[in-house]
Amino acid sequence: MSVTIALAGNPNSGKTTLFNALTGSNQFVGNWPGVTVEKKEGRLKFRKDVRIADLPGIYSLSPYTLEEVVARNYLINEKPDAILNIVDGSNLERNLYLTTQLAELGIPVVVAVNMMDIVEKTGDKIDIGVLSQRLGCKVVKISALKGTGIKEAADEAIKAAEKGSFTPVHSFSGEVEHAIAHIEDLLKDKVKKEQERWFAIKVFEGDKKVMEALSLDPSAEKEIKKIVSEAETEFDDDCESIITNERYVYIASVLRGAYKKADRGSLTVSDKIDKIVTNRILALPIFAVIMFIVYYISVTTVGTIATDWANDGVFGDGWYLLGIGRAAYEEAVEEYDAAQDRTEAFIAAAEEAGIDTEELVETLQSEEPDSGIIDEFLLQAADAGVEAETDSEGDVLVVDSDAFAQAVDAAEPENGDFGIWIPGVPVIVGAFLEKINCAEWLSGLILDGIIGGVGAVLGFVPQMLILFMFLAFLEACGYMARVAFIMDRIFRKFGLSGKSFIPMLIGTGCGVPGIMASRTIESDRDRKMTIMTTTFIPCGAKLPIIALISGALFGGAWWVAPSAYFVGVVAIIISGIILKKTALFAGDPAPFVMELPAYHMPTLGNVLRSMWERGWSFIKKAGTIILLATILVWFLSGYGFGDNGFGAVSMDQSLLAAIGNCIAFIFRPLGFGDWKAAVACVTGLIAKENVVGTFGVLFRPELAEVAEDGMEIWTNLSANFARTGGNAAIAGYAYLVFNLLCAPCFAAIGAIKREMNSPKWTLFAIGYQCVFAYFAGLVIFQIASAVVGNVSIPGLIASFLIIIFALYLLFRPAVTEAKEKRVNSAA
Amino acid sequence: MPLTLCPIGEENIIKRIGGKEEIRHHLENLGFVAGGIVKIISASNGNIIVNIKESRVAVSKEMASKIMV
Repeated sequence: MSVTIALAGNPNSGKTTLFNALTGSNQFVGNWPGVTVEKKEGRLKFRKDVRIADLPGIYSLSPYTLEEVVARNYLINEKPDAILNIVDGSNLERNLYLTTQLAELGIPVVVAVNMMDIVEKTGDKIDIGVLSQRLGCKVVKISALKGTGIKEAADEAIKAAEKGSFTPVHSFSGEVEHAIAHIEDLLKDKVKKEQERWFAIKVFEGDKKVMEALSLDPSAEKEIKKIVSEAETEFDDDCESIITNERYVYIASVLRGAYKKADRGSLTVSDKIDKIVTNRILALPIFAVIMFIVYYISVTTVGTIATDWANDGVFGDGWYLLGIGRAAYEEAVEEYDAAQDRTEAFIAAAEEAGIDTEELVETLQSEEPDSGIIDEFLLQAADAGVEAETDSEGDVLVVDSDAFAQAVDAAEPENGDFGIWIPGVPVIVGAFLEKINCAEWLSGLILDGIIGGVGAVLGFVPQMLILFMFLAFLEACGYMARVAFIMDRIFRKFGLSGKSFIPMLIGTGCGVPGIMASRTIESDRDRKMTIMTTTFIPCGAKLPIIALISGALFGGAWWVAPSAYFVGVVAIIISGIILKKTALFAGDPAPFVMELPAYHMPTLGNVLRSMWERGWSFIKKAGTIILLATILVWFLSGYGFGDNGFGAVSMDQSLLAAIGNCIAFIFRPLGFGDWKAAVACVTGLIAKENVVGTFGVLFRPELAEVAEDGMEIWTNLSANFARTGGNAAIAGYAYLVFNLLCAPCFAAIGAIKREMNSPKWTLFAIGYQCVFAYFAGLVIFQIASAVVGNVSIPGLIASFLIIIFALYLLFRPAVTEAKEKRVNSAA
Repeated sequence: MPLTLCPIGEENIIKRIGGKEEIRHHLENLGFVAGGIVKIISASNGNIIVNIKESRVAVSKEMASKIMV
């Protein structure tokens, strides 16, 4: 028989850790409420016919956040065969609150008290025998992290599932029970027997979603209203609070005698850390320093070293294993260059002295120089007493015929002589293709199209892996939730909640999980606003664009990368203020309430796993979508209708140029109205790193000049921006800003559509982002151009109009909730 | 008095919780119920971190001022 077991429990009680242990899968375990926002399914490791569903963490079955809705809908509608309720043993009272609700669903429940290792360490005593008897369901002790007791827990759950039927044993006080029994009577023919109690309690609480689903007839509804209001007057409390209180009273009675808490010191380690990192004065500086370190290391220092290695080594000429031999090689190259200088100077001097050097130069350039000619030349030169001077960095060196003879003998250093030299991919593949006599168009496709495009993207994998590793660490150690708390103070000023910050921080890795993480935000308004603004933050895939622009146009200036993040943050702040003042988002953000998990050191495996998973999906993307896109770009950029009909043409006559030229005019006010840049903007929609891949193909060196380093692409790119925008740096920066802020990649647009759950809202979000990006790019380009002296009057007028419009939106009086209501009621 | 005025480190018993129904119920689900013991761990500009039923919960100023102890 196939059995489905649902894992349910409070946020951070260890559901995903248990899920991984039970199914042998590799889900990332974070340490902030809301890591799992969607249900995940797997099969039990030791019994493949048992399905395990990991639900998002919830505090109760009342639908306050979206995650609670997801979990509750699953439990009620799909009715798993059993619920394995994970309970944090170090926080029994609060965790059992959910257990009392789960027990009412009529689904067999097994309680697994997790984190027993920590509980035992602190000296707490839990009597599971008594607990099991009082709760009316099996209770087992486990430690999901250490893997103890998990098999027993699964076995118990399977046993309970096979036994079926389950009735909760707990009861509330007499008056409440009376009211519930009465409601149960009224619901009899509406719901299944085993779910009767749950529905009755929900009806008593006045749960809107349940009431809608039941669609009771008016007389029953009236009756229920009467019962509820009677109870409310009796308890002098509202219906939902009555039940909540009853549950806590019941839990207290269950725990009496079954749970003994050890005496702890007044402050735990987590409390002490919190005192510092959430301190009034220190909180923000600490956060700023942490973020600076993360990005400095992953983008500027280690990241750049790794990326250089990948770009120039693996996807360039080649590289030395462990770097051994590089220094020696470079020294030898220097020496060789100096020798070359000497021979050239000497030859020039000999020519001046009237010696015919034509034959000599010819033989020196051939593979095997004729020593006879050289000797003859030397004799002649010695007779004429030829002497030359070379000047290297101020050292004047006199070259006589002996020195010349030596210099001529100097051999060009070979890479392989100085260490373990590993040739780059293009070199290996190029040599191979030459060997098998590959057709020219095919080797062009492979070398220029595939390796040029995909290689340009894959080169950034090391940088991204380092960033992903830091993010995984921040997520897993427990600091994430604190960041939300710290940022709440600031974000509130722009109309966002501190919880909006978590999606944005996750979004620096990838926008898709960032957008998904917005589910933890309770208020629908705040959530929509967060979804719209999250992708303004540069994600991992935008890093290559930043690196390319900063390297090609700014000489790798240190401030370009941080400024990209700064632009993202400013865009979020401006959007927050502007949107909040519209009728769509009016009203204060929901008050901030969030559980802060205890800090713990993340396991190395967990961090590496998360890093690898996110990095791997990036690599996979490079191997699939980006591969196809670059092949397409290569084809479209190399073929078109030339003078001889359709066929291989120069790039400017290609199909892609024709398409690009149609849309290029749009970007003229932004300084990059050129078909290549325009095409890259569009291919960037497939995946942002594709911008770099497309540039890699479009700005590849012309075949005639066969430049060997990637610098050639940079030079071409820079020349192109200089042509379109007057000033390469300004046009390039406008290009960067536009690409950072405009519509995200298709995957992220898909995520926005899923989370918004409305085509209208999705269009609004994408449209807003594009318009915002366009305006930002235009203002930056026009104003900066004017500053350096390239004034364009229409451009400046447009910029000022945009700025005035933006200022109006920023500082106009807000549409208040009351006003909005009036408008609505009038309509 | 409202929770925002309590000194750090002192244990207090919750008397009443005000505010919008929805948020009040969320607080109740997290363990903030009348009669419960709450302790402030850290405070910054009125936003506080408290200990409630053995868990640590961050509460913003607006919300904390509606929790009466």
